[in-house]
Amino acid sequence: MSAFLKLLFRNRLAALGAVVLGAILLLVLLIPVLPLKDPNATATADRFLRPFSEGHLLGTDHLGRDLLSRLLHGTRLSLAVGLAAALIAATIGSAIGIVAGYFGGRIDNLIMRGVDMLMAFPYILLALAIVAALGPGLMNALIAVAAVNIPFFARNIRGITVGLAGREFIDAARLAGLGHTRIIVSELLPNVLSTIVIAMSTTVGWMILETAGLSFLGLGSQPPQADLGSMLGEARAALITAPHTSVVPGVMIFLIVMSINLLGDGVRDALDPRLRSGALSRPRATTLVDRTGPVPEDDGKGLLALQQLQTEFHVGKRVFRAVGGVTLHVEKGECLGLIGESGSGKSVTALSVMGLVSSPPGVVTGGAVRYAGEDLLAMRYADLRQRRGENVAYIFQDPLATLHPLYRVGEQLAEAIRCHHKVSESETRERALELLRAVRIPNAESRLGDYPHEMSGGMRQRVGIAMALANDPDVIIADEPTTALDVTVQAQILALLDDLRRERGLAIIFITHDFGVVAQLCDRVAVMYAGRIVEQGPTKAVLAAPAHPYTSRLIACVPELGGGRRELAAIPGLPPSVDDLPPGCAFAPRCDKAQTACRQGEIALEGTGPRAVRCLFPEEAV
Amino acid sequence: MGRYILKRLASAIPVLLGITVIVFLIMAMIPGDPATAILGSYATPENVEKINRDLGLDKPLVQRYFIWLGNMLQGDFGRSFSLNRPVLDEILDRFGATLILAGTSFVLCAVLGIVAGVVSAARQYGLADKAITFTVLIGISIPAFFLGMMMILLFAVKLRWLPVSGMYAIYGGGDLPDLLRHLIMPALALAAVATGVIARLSRSAMLEVLRQDYIRTARAKGVPERRVIYGHALRAAMVSIIPVLGIQAGFVLSGAVYIEIVFQWPGVGRMLVDAILKRDILLVQGGVVFVAACYVLFNIMVDVAQSLLDPRIKT
Amino acid sequence: MTILSLTRRTLFAAATSVLALGALSLPAQAQTPPGVLIVGQIAEPKSLDPAAVTAVNDFRILVNLYEGLVRYAPGTLEVEPHLATGWEVSEDGTVYTFTLREDVTFHDGTPFDAEAVKFNFDRMLNEDHPYHDTGPFPLAFFFGSVESTEVVDTHTVRFTLSEPYAPFLSNLAYPTGLIVSPAAVEANGADYGRNPVGTGPFTFAEWRSNEAVVIERNAEYWGDPAGTEAVVFRPITDANTRVAEMLAGGIDLMVEVPPTALGQFQGDGFEVVEQAGPHVWFLILNAKEGPFADKRVRQAANYAINKEAIVNDVLEGTAEVAAGPTPPAFAWAYNEELDPYPYDPDRARELLAEAGAEGAELTFYVTEGGSGMLDPIPMGTAIQADLNAVGLDVSIETYEWNTFLGEVNPGLEGKADMAEMAWMTNDPDTLPYLALRTEAWPSEGGFNSGYYSNPEVDRLLEQARVATDQAERARLYKEMQAIVQEDAPWVFVANWKQNAVTSDRVENFSLEPSFLLMLEDVVKN
Repeated sequence: MSAFLKLLFRNRLAALGAVVLGAILLLVLLIPVLPLKDPNATATADRFLRPFSEGHLLGTDHLGRDLLSRLLHGTRLSLAVGLAAALIAATIGSAIGIVAGYFGGRIDNLIMRGVDMLMAFPYILLALAIVAALGPGLMNALIAVAAVNIPFFARNIRGITVGLAGREFIDAARLAGLGHTRIIVSELLPNVLSTIVIAMSTTVGWMILETAGLSFLGLGSQPPQADLGSMLGEARAALITAPHTSVVPGVMIFLIVMSINLLGDGVRDALDPRLRSGALSRPRATTLVDRTGPVPEDDGKGLLALQQLQTEFHVGKRVFRAVGGVTLHVEKGECLGLIGESGSGKSVTALSVMGLVSSPPGVVTGGAVRYAGEDLLAMRYADLRQRRGENVAYIFQDPLATLHPLYRVGEQLAEAIRCHHKVSESETRERALELLRAVRIPNAESRLGDYPHEMSGGMRQRVGIAMALANDPDVIIADEPTTALDVTVQAQILALLDDLRRERGLAIIFITHDFGVVAQLCDRVAVMYAGRIVEQGPTKAVLAAPAHPYTSRLIACVPELGGGRRELAAIPGLPPSVDDLPPGCAFAPRCDKAQTACRQGEIALEGTGPRAVRCLFPEEAV
Repeated sequence: MGRYILKRLASAIPVLLGITVIVFLIMAMIPGDPATAILGSYATPENVEKINRDLGLDKPLVQRYFIWLGNMLQGDFGRSFSLNRPVLDEILDRFGATLILAGTSFVLCAVLGIVAGVVSAARQYGLADKAITFTVLIGISIPAFFLGMMMILLFAVKLRWLPVSGMYAIYGGGDLPDLLRHLIMPALALAAVATGVIARLSRSAMLEVLRQDYIRTARAKGVPERRVIYGHALRAAMVSIIPVLGIQAGFVLSGAVYIEIVFQWPGVGRMLVDAILKRDILLVQGGVVFVAACYVLFNIMVDVAQSLLDPRIKT
Repeated sequence: MTILSLTRRTLFAAATSVLALGALSLPAQAQTPPGVLIVGQIAEPKSLDPAAVTAVNDFRILVNLYEGLVRYAPGTLEVEPHLATGWEVSEDGTVYTFTLREDVTFHDGTPFDAEAVKFNFDRMLNEDHPYHDTGPFPLAFFFGSVESTEVVDTHTVRFTLSEPYAPFLSNLAYPTGLIVSPAAVEANGADYGRNPVGTGPFTFAEWRSNEAVVIERNAEYWGDPAGTEAVVFRPITDANTRVAEMLAGGIDLMVEVPPTALGQFQGDGFEVVEQAGPHVWFLILNAKEGPFADKRVRQAANYAINKEAIVNDVLEGTAEVAAGPTPPAFAWAYNEELDPYPYDPDRARELLAEAGAEGAELTFYVTEGGSGMLDPIPMGTAIQADLNAVGLDVSIETYEWNTFLGEVNPGLEGKADMAEMAWMTNDPDTLPYLALRTEAWPSEGGFNSGYYSNPEVDRLLEQARVATDQAERARLYKEMQAIVQEDAPWVFVANWKQNAVTSDRVENFSLEPSFLLMLEDVVKN
């Protein structure tokens, strides 16, 4: 609860809403002790006194009644009615929604048809008809407003319930022999409650507005009783002569509804787990670069070189050092494997290259990325964009999520070409066909018109590869391109990439967590752990004689075909959280060879020739 | 696609039938006599009884329903006794005005709302975003009728820029500029709330979409940022914006009732309020069924638009 | 892809057109054209068939399109010849013979003659008439005593009454007696009300639903041609909007100016016109049951309510305090000797104490607005506050006018203790005869919703109705007023001075005591 409140008040607007609403509530609660005049006492001779008149802070209305007093009494009434209507609508609507969603089938069908019908009315007509049938009066207006909002709750809650009703814990409860009522009350209700609260907090404002609307039409509260809507309705006759009588209740409605809206938003944000991470912010076009240290000099190594690259995520006050000074390079025609467990920082490293790390929260805080000697991190957005796809292209992991679901694959391919080259439509199409054939998609012609969801996973990944190849880039960064695919498809894709590399002289950085894949494809390999490279060297050498204990554990994870019942040793423990790295070797807590020295001070990446390792007690000397 | 539309249209029939039943029942429950509306101040009990007989109100409820439904299916909505003319004529006269007002407002709120939401999302936490968020907040919190009143006070009475009320200048007007002059205030007042709702929704839908992997893919391809936002992201965001447009259309239609009253717009909303208050049963029933039918039809159009936009929806 | 760029272009186009819209609004509003008078009405007319309507609002249009056999002489409630050049009444007061003008044709070119007159009255009164179904005709009872209408010759028509009926001529001058074209009724049937044809100085031009009724100068008019080319009646139901339109120059003339807005029109450019008429605003008290069954409680209510404050403050002086059931506008029948109940809350408390009615709970029906109801909600609220001040616990229920009538006309028994009401009439007979007699209880088909009953009053009213001598009638009415004031079946609140505002471009405009809006001579510059 206090976490909830903390979250709520971190949102400054929500806090403002809470303060305004709180002030209004306080005033309204203080009515009995405030020195207010009788809200219904008329004094026709003193009518339409302006605000700040003597004895009448807000002036008087058309019958000389004190506006301040009427305003506060009216506010109290409007708030009470709005809340009551919201409660009634939420209770009945949710009950209907839960019943429909839980029982499903014919009951659901019947109820939802009814709800559809009610929702097909413009709500005001329904409310008016109900009030007409019941007669005027605030109570009846309340009933009408509650009634027209029931379908809204019913539909909302049903949606959630349908999702829950199929879940295991409900089945379990059924199997345990619990009655329907028990299941609904003890299993379902707690799970939909937060949705109900969110829906309520966002509709209370509406309810107040709608009740005010009915009162405005003269169907709500009866004179002399004041509620905000009827005050506005009565004042309307004098809008021109005495505008203050309209403005006073109008502004109050505005303040109430606004503060409730703000607070409602805050409640929703605080209760919505997706937003709790604070992630609902838009990533910029490129990753923010804020390098504190000096930029490393170009050392002329490789076509693409990362030098001491550091990328961090700033979430609130916490800093996650996802990439902690990575140096890598890849030559033309070479394939470099970058391997590590999930969370080791390998994907962030790859995305940092072309500024694709989501920012916020991502920030590149140090190092350099050099393509053909130029520092990509120092580049203006326009220049960097020119190189994206044209010089350095990406292949991503899950092709269903990484292809745009609403564009045909042909369009997506064409776009890749046309954002870098002005070519005619027919040429583009030719090129797209060529690309699809190059990645060995059968019936390429007809596939151009397919949407991603109409293709199989393997086909989609081929499209992803084709898209990466569209502009004949020099470097391809493949971020776990085969992880989501089954083994046979994976083999095909790997073979394809290997062919392409040889045919076109591509440099590939291949990111994976699977040494088996690295063994098939890569010339060299770099092993990452907790944001740093812990070992690197030619694939064969590393495979044959891993130097870092982590590398050897990773290799041990790969099942060998025909290898018999070899022990598949999972690595005990979890990778460390990168916002709180231990001093010394990050792997030490999981390493069975760790010694005291491992937990102290910086350990350098050292070695001779092509191999290097970051370990005080390597398994093999390098 | 054609079959999908037909299927959706067919599924609207039971909904519409249900609506006729609901309207009919509610109107049957309303106490009071239509006869007083006809007779005015001079309604005597015996005159009232005679008129109820003439109107067939003495027949059993079920029989009355089927007579009404049957006539309506043949295009005869009956005769409004408060207006002394056929219901359908009156509805058609009025519906055009409502369509112009609500239609303009709807286009305004859709366009302004989406533009504001997208700009707001694209410039998240920038000055434009803050300005838009603030304006939107005011928009959704201010009652439309109050906004309308204040607009009249300022623009029509004090500044005299715009006409106070009505749809056309009563003499010598009637052309398009005249209509537009009359339309500005009511259309804006009516659009305010929906614009705010749509803007907020568009903003969060855009923010949601911008975090998706396929946006990163587009960027990795080197797609210019403007196209990423106004092309890839907006198109995907529309998938969640369009259904809300359908819902907001209903709110605009409802809000039109207040706006038509405040601005004396000769539309169907005001007619229905009057008709309900006057117990003009046939006019209410006919009008509500007509409006609801249009609304249902509009929602089918929204669904069709949605299925055109999103190939993943099975048609 | 093209779809998307298109969408974007459309967005921009839409945005620019919004800006263009803004530019359109900048030129100041055009003035209304000369020669065309634009009238702000309080509501859309229900029908333009004079026999079918009851509202003053509709009469305002009708009297400019149609004419009757007689009319109220301008500025008075005296009856004078109009389409008839004269009439004779038989000795016993039951046969009226009218001689008709010979130079009159309807707007559709058909002649106005005795047949046409007969058609009009038969349509209203005779259930077998082929066009009786173009009704209903709610005010047909004005002519309920007519037994037959005969054509004597082309230009002479004779009415035979079942008994002497003093208000007959006055009723003929009332809009219900306006003459419609039989040919037009035959042609249009039930839709006649939207296609009116009369003989008046204006002809009907068009009726755009909820926008305007337009009438144009009748070039063929038998009398002096109208002063304006056309008159446009705009229904603006909302008083506030009506005021705003008037201030903004959208209308030239508005009637029933809300009292709160009168101050706006005091300056240059506008002229406020006032005219008292036969109107009375009162509260019906339920004399059959509850506290008001006791005369002392009814009197207490009359003392407790501050009528001066209501007419001077709430109504901004647009009304006078009423003394009794008959408005002073019927000068000949008005009892000058009666003074209104004074505002005396102490006396009220005394009476309540005597009757043991302190703290009684009362239900008060209030309407939202209606013909002659002035400002009913503020008035009702002020009354409620006054009654509360003397210890009566009054709760208000408001209803839309027609619903209100549906609740009040069948009688207050079992529902309410008091209800607002107002009548505008053309003869001193109408209101008391329909609303104060024992035989006018709702069960008898009358409007005595408070069940007042005093045999003496009944007798006086019956006598006055058949008396043919005006002095005799006046004596009877004055006696009736004194008794009714003492019995206090109603709280007598106000007599309205109707008002109107014109712009300074309007000339020759005046209001009539009959509440009718005669626009024949009005000139618009």
